[in-house]
Amino acid sequence: MKGQPNRLGIDPPHHLQGSAIDRTRPLQFRLDGRVISGFAGDTVLSAVLASGIDTIGQRGGAPLALSLRHAPTISFAALAADHQRTLPMERTPATDGVEYVTTARKLRSNPLMRLLARGSRSLNIDLDRADALARPWIGSPAEPGPEVELVVVGGGVAGLTAALAAARRGLRVALIEAAPRLGGTLRLFGTQEGEQTPDEAIARLTAAVAQVDAITVLTSAEVFALRPGVVRLHQVEMLEGTPTGRVVGIRAPHIVLATGSLERLPVFPGNRLPGVIGALEAYELAQLYGVWAGASALVATSSSPAYRLAMLATDAGIAVPRIIDSRPHPQSRFIEFSRAYGITQAAGTIIAATTASPKGRGLMVLPRLSMGTLSRTEAPLPVDRLVVCGGWQPDLTLWHMAGGESAWNATRTRLEPRGGPAGIALAGSAGGWLSRSACTASGSDAVDALLGRQRRAVEERLIDPIYETPDAPAPLGDVPDEVAPPAYLDGGWRHIERPRLKASRWPAWLPFAPPPPGWSLADTPQPLDIADIAAGVQLGAIPAASAGIVAQERVAMVVIEGGGASAAGLPPAPLPPLYLRDRYQGAALWLVAPTEARVLDVGALIYRDADETDPLKAIGVVVRIVNGKAVALIAGHAEMAASVREPGRAIGIRVVTPYQEGMRLDA
Amino acid sequence: MTEARADFVIVGSTPTARLVAGLLASAHGKSVVFSGESQSGYRLPRGVDLSVAPITRPETWALLKAGLPETLRLISRMGGRRAWSRVDPILFSEAAAGREALAHVRHMALAFGHAAERLPAKVIGPGREGLLLRDTVLLHRPTLEIALDAWLDQHSVRRLRDGEVLTVRADGSAELAAGEERLDIAQTVLADDPAIVTHVTTAQWPALLLRQVASTILTEPTLPIAAPVMHRLDTGLTLVQQQAGRGVVAMGPGAIDPFAAALGVLLDKERQFRQAGQSSYETLLTADAAPALGRLRGTGPDVIAGLGPSGAFLAPAIARWLCGKGTPAENAWLGARLVDRQAVSSSVAEFGAAA
Repeated sequence: MKGQPNRLGIDPPHHLQGSAIDRTRPLQFRLDGRVISGFAGDTVLSAVLASGIDTIGQRGGAPLALSLRHAPTISFAALAADHQRTLPMERTPATDGVEYVTTARKLRSNPLMRLLARGSRSLNIDLDRADALARPWIGSPAEPGPEVELVVVGGGVAGLTAALAAARRGLRVALIEAAPRLGGTLRLFGTQEGEQTPDEAIARLTAAVAQVDAITVLTSAEVFALRPGVVRLHQVEMLEGTPTGRVVGIRAPHIVLATGSLERLPVFPGNRLPGVIGALEAYELAQLYGVWAGASALVATSSSPAYRLAMLATDAGIAVPRIIDSRPHPQSRFIEFSRAYGITQAAGTIIAATTASPKGRGLMVLPRLSMGTLSRTEAPLPVDRLVVCGGWQPDLTLWHMAGGESAWNATRTRLEPRGGPAGIALAGSAGGWLSRSACTASGSDAVDALLGRQRRAVEERLIDPIYETPDAPAPLGDVPDEVAPPAYLDGGWRHIERPRLKASRWPAWLPFAPPPPGWSLADTPQPLDIADIAAGVQLGAIPAASAGIVAQERVAMVVIEGGGASAAGLPPAPLPPLYLRDRYQGAALWLVAPTEARVLDVGALIYRDADETDPLKAIGVVVRIVNGKAVALIAGHAEMAASVREPGRAIGIRVVTPYQEGMRLDA
Repeated sequence: MTEARADFVIVGSTPTARLVAGLLASAHGKSVVFSGESQSGYRLPRGVDLSVAPITRPETWALLKAGLPETLRLISRMGGRRAWSRVDPILFSEAAAGREALAHVRHMALAFGHAAERLPAKVIGPGREGLLLRDTVLLHRPTLEIALDAWLDQHSVRRLRDGEVLTVRADGSAELAAGEERLDIAQTVLADDPAIVTHVTTAQWPALLLRQVASTILTEPTLPIAAPVMHRLDTGLTLVQQQAGRGVVAMGPGAIDPFAAALGVLLDKERQFRQAGQSSYETLLTADAAPALGRLRGTGPDVIAGLGPSGAFLAPAIARWLCGKGTPAENAWLGARLVDRQAVSSSVAEFGAAA
């Protein structure tokens, strides 16, 4: 696998060798002039990651990891100027012989540095620019999508079940999945007793969907805007062998949101350095594309499925020196199995901080024993890769966009859905369900709820906590100081950082020592993703009671209505305007004439004499110029002399004649 | 069960509500309960606090001019220099009626010694007329709110805690239930729109107050707008340039989608924006677009509504008036703006009046 240092081998066979790629069909394309090698079935992103590029660029001088949730847009080199033709790396199939460029602005460097950068591990995107990760298609007009009665967003087991249930009830269905293939994230979570394996369950459901004509499947299709009855998405499809993007609008009275869960990012300095990756993403890249960076990986988790990944990685030849678990006494079937693998486990331990290895690739990870009041920093661990898992947050992004509500569950430290708009229902883990059986059943239930049919209670089948310890809150590591790498709240596009500790010239106990600056998320000019909100609650920046409303306020909503009328053509209001009513005792509308040749200023105050300047003693005001003549509201009489106060001077006027709207005035 | 008494309960989350509560306690020696959330650090704003507004009535300009130094001293003492700044906001209009009002505001500002400059179209955009008001005080709510809350604590203003229930009675009194404790409160002051919407019954609702849906949109960083604060008279839309991050906060009437569409037209293609946050809520306007204060039906809870962006700078006058210690000018101004007045014959109407 020349040119693909991060592609796992397949001898001996293992679970992470890439179910989506065909290793007998190698391909090559160029990205920003660099040759990228891959296989048929790769996405552009998976091929880029396999080729050893793991850094998207720099933000504030610090490198950030390239990931499924944090990748730039690309364009065909020949169409680079046309931003409407850009494509998402993570949803664009890799094709042979194509030349792509990343569309975001690059970090400034001299020509020699640019030449050298071709061999680097970074895409060199300047992430300090606000538009670095913009999705240009979001403002594009939508072409009409399939005519359906129900839209299912999310092609995991809950979404697949919902689509099948709706079709069985006679509805035409659009099933929309952001990933290139159906199935969702079930595979990482393994099997409970009596269940089919994830692969068997996914194969059964996808085969059933394929056989139903009433279901239109749109893959590589990401919904970016949603209101009751309206869905807008961007899809990458292959047209005559060329990846092509399009924006599609679908109107449907019923919408099921089966958008799954997002993996929480533990908050510690360096949590988005290249080499740090979420357990779910690490699993998906390895399982689908055989992509894994480095020969050793430390796993740090607060949730049991990460243990399964550690075992699968070990099977694939990756050295896992230790699993760090923030839970003090974790129990799980996965933990028992991983002990059998001989993997060292450290319970009650979190990552305090991580830095880039001084020797180039790799990381220095600083673990900390943290059990109740006991806290002890341990020796730094050098590893190629750090796999982290901070638990799971139902992805309620589209739910909030549609007006759905949510509330903080302090026990599970996550936002959970509450009441929502008519015509929209949640299913699967987005709806807060945990077990596969409940997620599956909730798909049918969501359809029944939308159609007003009799519902069957969805039962959560959870293993007793004695045997399967529930997830702990996402671990919170050190507060970054002024030199530490940033600690981000989430792994997406938003770049919300935990505030740094700033050294003060004065000891904090001194009365004149400046207080630490407040942390105002209200001033953060980016949407807050739902995992940012969850981290904000944990860090005390958002009160738990307000987490739901803040999540709704700060979701990345997209305008899907046109319009906006101009007020420019509106006629003037009748005279005198209401705001001048009763202003001047006995006042009426008069034409007034300046004693010198000039046009009076509308709004200027009129006084009895030129020496008066107190606005409370004004006797009138110039209200309009009609055909060059000044109309004033003034308490006066014909031929009365007065003075108009304009900036810097007074102008004598004479009251001429009563004014009536529509009266003939010669210019 | 224990019972105690307090003089006032102030309900509301705005700086005006906090200032009135604190002044009643600190300057007038009243026992005060405060019921308001501290959300400026993480919720989207619903208003802006400026020492000027599109005011056309000279008596309002006079009161504001008199109240500014007093309020500013107070705020500087509590929140320091980070609680406020001086900015040059722009008022602008596209419609003929708004232009006339703007011209009137300009002359009124100049007459009261406030530097006001007409803006050329190249600054404000074609088809628009703009007015720049120099040296205006802008309050920074997230910073100020923390300082005001500390100030309320310092003056023993009792703040409503989670689980405590406030019941406002039709006669204006209120009861605070905190477990076994009962606090009887002589007079309620509903000091912002949500407080009025929550506590005023349909039977008590004054004809002067009209409900409307309003929205706030925070944009992702975009090209800077022409001034730190811009207010469009025609539509009531206010734009605030964020101090950090180059985002813009837009507030104004309308549901989110049409409001966003109108904002898109206003910001035009050069400033295509993406939404970083949005919220929709109910606000109140008065039928004559003028402030509305005083007791509902003469004997009910006090309300404070329709003050626009300058309410905080009138707080000292309002606090004095609530205690019966207002100056003649304050008493005259507030007395003319009682909430039970008739809008159709209002002698205090401002621009935007619908009556």
